[in-house]
Amino acid sequence: MKALSRRDFGRLVAAGAAASALAGGAGPAFAETRLRYIWWGNPDRDKRTNATVDLYHKKHPDISVDRESYAWADYWPKLATQAAGRNLPDVIQMDYRYIFEWARRGQLADLTPMVGKELKLDHFDKNQLESGKIGGKLYGLSMGGNSVALVYNKTQYQKLKIGLPDPLAWTFDDFIKLAKDVQPHLPDGVHFTANKGDNESWLEMFVRQRGKELYTKDGQLGFELDDLVAFWTIMTQMQKDGLTPPPDVQAQDTTGALEKTMLVLGKAITDFTNSNQLVAIQKLMKDQVDLTTLPNQEGNRPGQYMKPSMFISQSASSSQPEEAAKFLNFMVTDVDAGDILQIERGVPADSEVLKHVEPSLTEVEQRMTRYLTLLAKHVGPLPPPPPKGAGEIQQLLYPAYQKVSFGRLSVEDGARDFMQRAKDILKRA
Amino acid sequence: MTSTVGPIGTTASGRRETAAPDGLRARLARSLRRNGPGYLFLLPWLVGFFGLTLLPTVGSLYLSFTDYDLLNPPRWTGTANYSYAFFEDTRFRSALSVTFHYVLWSVPLKLIVALALAMALDRGVRGISVYRAVFYLPSLLGSSVAVAVLWRQIFGDAGVVNQLIALVGLKGPSWITHPDYALWTLIVLAIWQFGSPMIIFLAGLRQIPQEVHEAAAMDGAGPARRFFRITLPLLAPVIFFNLVLQTIDAFKAFTPAFIVSGGNGSPIDSTLFYSLYLYIEAFANFRMGYAAALAWILLVIISIFTALAFLTSRYWVYYEDEGR
Repeated sequence: MKALSRRDFGRLVAAGAAASALAGGAGPAFAETRLRYIWWGNPDRDKRTNATVDLYHKKHPDISVDRESYAWADYWPKLATQAAGRNLPDVIQMDYRYIFEWARRGQLADLTPMVGKELKLDHFDKNQLESGKIGGKLYGLSMGGNSVALVYNKTQYQKLKIGLPDPLAWTFDDFIKLAKDVQPHLPDGVHFTANKGDNESWLEMFVRQRGKELYTKDGQLGFELDDLVAFWTIMTQMQKDGLTPPPDVQAQDTTGALEKTMLVLGKAITDFTNSNQLVAIQKLMKDQVDLTTLPNQEGNRPGQYMKPSMFISQSASSSQPEEAAKFLNFMVTDVDAGDILQIERGVPADSEVLKHVEPSLTEVEQRMTRYLTLLAKHVGPLPPPPPKGAGEIQQLLYPAYQKVSFGRLSVEDGARDFMQRAKDILKRA
Repeated sequence: MTSTVGPIGTTASGRRETAAPDGLRARLARSLRRNGPGYLFLLPWLVGFFGLTLLPTVGSLYLSFTDYDLLNPPRWTGTANYSYAFFEDTRFRSALSVTFHYVLWSVPLKLIVALALAMALDRGVRGISVYRAVFYLPSLLGSSVAVAVLWRQIFGDAGVVNQLIALVGLKGPSWITHPDYALWTLIVLAIWQFGSPMIIFLAGLRQIPQEVHEAAAMDGAGPARRFFRITLPLLAPVIFFNLVLQTIDAFKAFTPAFIVSGGNGSPIDSTLFYSLYLYIEAFANFRMGYAAALAWILLVIISIFTALAFLTSRYWVYYEDEGR
């Protein structure tokens, strides 16, 4: 290679500097307002959200919105790092688990003063609105409602002529009896239901049916050892009876990835899910899937509730709170935005948007709204916000239940071990 | 994991200063004129070292004595993090035990495989460079995400391994999600990355003079005897080098456990490597202070093991040039 002369080198450096200067100036003009918006999602949600943001820019050419999107697991570290660097985006997607913690720490803006001005919430569902309030202050707007559900392989159910008992009143006994009737007709390696003894939402639903909560208002465990023992006894007994996959097969499903769930893998014809995930699950499966309610317990006390699937919030450090609030308002109340977002984040809380969106829903999406309409007759109140450390306890459930399902500990010992560790986490958090 | 290697610390001028007794300022100016360009060229590395290595290291030492969740400013808690780790944290204990298990099995087995293959290749096989490249390949890929994902497939419930087992009519468990086997699949993955110690062994074997082997053979020493009496002792410095490097690497292992376990050390924490636990505490539970303390504990553990290796080395490592 020819050696560079000093002059060549100088030219190269100058050219490089010029190029980078050009690149820096090539973005949108500086005069306009720039907002930053961050969310977690999946490819489908990213596509919809990006299109919505583009539409906003078309309607308001003087405002451009920079976007960042991450997978769920990467999102929270990223957000915490940005908060530590005092560099939070103006508009932030929030989860019910974290919104209270973030609000308590003063990272989120109180939206109350904007209601009626930038935020036009006349058609917004009252319960969904309440769910974003802490101490009377509004910290986030629900982007959609959903609930937990049983998801089942409808094609297989129909082939086996399985009839579901009354979804609003069926019990665990019905559930187990159904499983025992069906199991002999299933091929080797396929089971009636996934074993979700390690799933926090299942457990929450179970203890709520017994009149308890996962967490009390003051952030302590809201259920007793007996409740957990009862839950795990049912689950491990079903495993022993071969109604659920063996523990090493079930253990593949610990990351929240839909393609690793027993239903999608074809290891079970029934599984547990969040209602808004039906669309994504259907995309992964040839067989038709549908939703139904979870079995009940004695007294038929409703365990499920309408959960805000996610919130849209504003950071307390935003330098342009009014502009950010207008964007928030657009995302949750604009019918054209609703046209694009549809019900991917759950059923819209704004009744006008919902009315506008409903006719254009696909058949799969209608299955989801049908389920929520049915469930609405049998839901309890929103639980108290989860305390700090709840995320860690949710993760703890996996190894804790596995100790029981792999037979390392008895149900009682495993449950006692879990309760102790959960209390330790709450004390330490 | 990569390790950064800085340039060898050289000064621009090796000449001794024949200092005339003039003022400090003049001496400084002259020294700067002479060494300035050297430091200028070192500058990128110096900035990197101070800004990206030393400063964060010192920062993490400070954080290890605090309670810090990224959102609120760090709060000084003294040695609370350390005493929690040593006296209360059962997960810390299980992470340590998993990591020790991993190190104690994977490092010796990997070195044995590497040495065996190096000796096989040292025979002067035809196309040796091809074999060398092929055997080295896993080392390049081994710690990558792609291979860890591949591992999930191979040892998964319906993976290649179980399909082979099914051929003889048996049914294998889901290896990576069974607490009895999950860690072993990771040990096998580590052993499979024998390439880089193998290359180093190969170079070491080439250094052993052929005459010594010939003389021993002449005296009637069989292959086994020659291996234990000649190859091993003369290779000791290379073995030592590989041992230290591989041990440090194994203690720091993260990617395979993170990917194969799905990021949570599942099942039943059987693949909860120390560095994975550290990551979970820092970035899932936002206990930066505690994670910093864990990092420092790991540093001390690795230092102790390295020091032990160096201390015992005088009893088993023979350097030719020591003339003993």
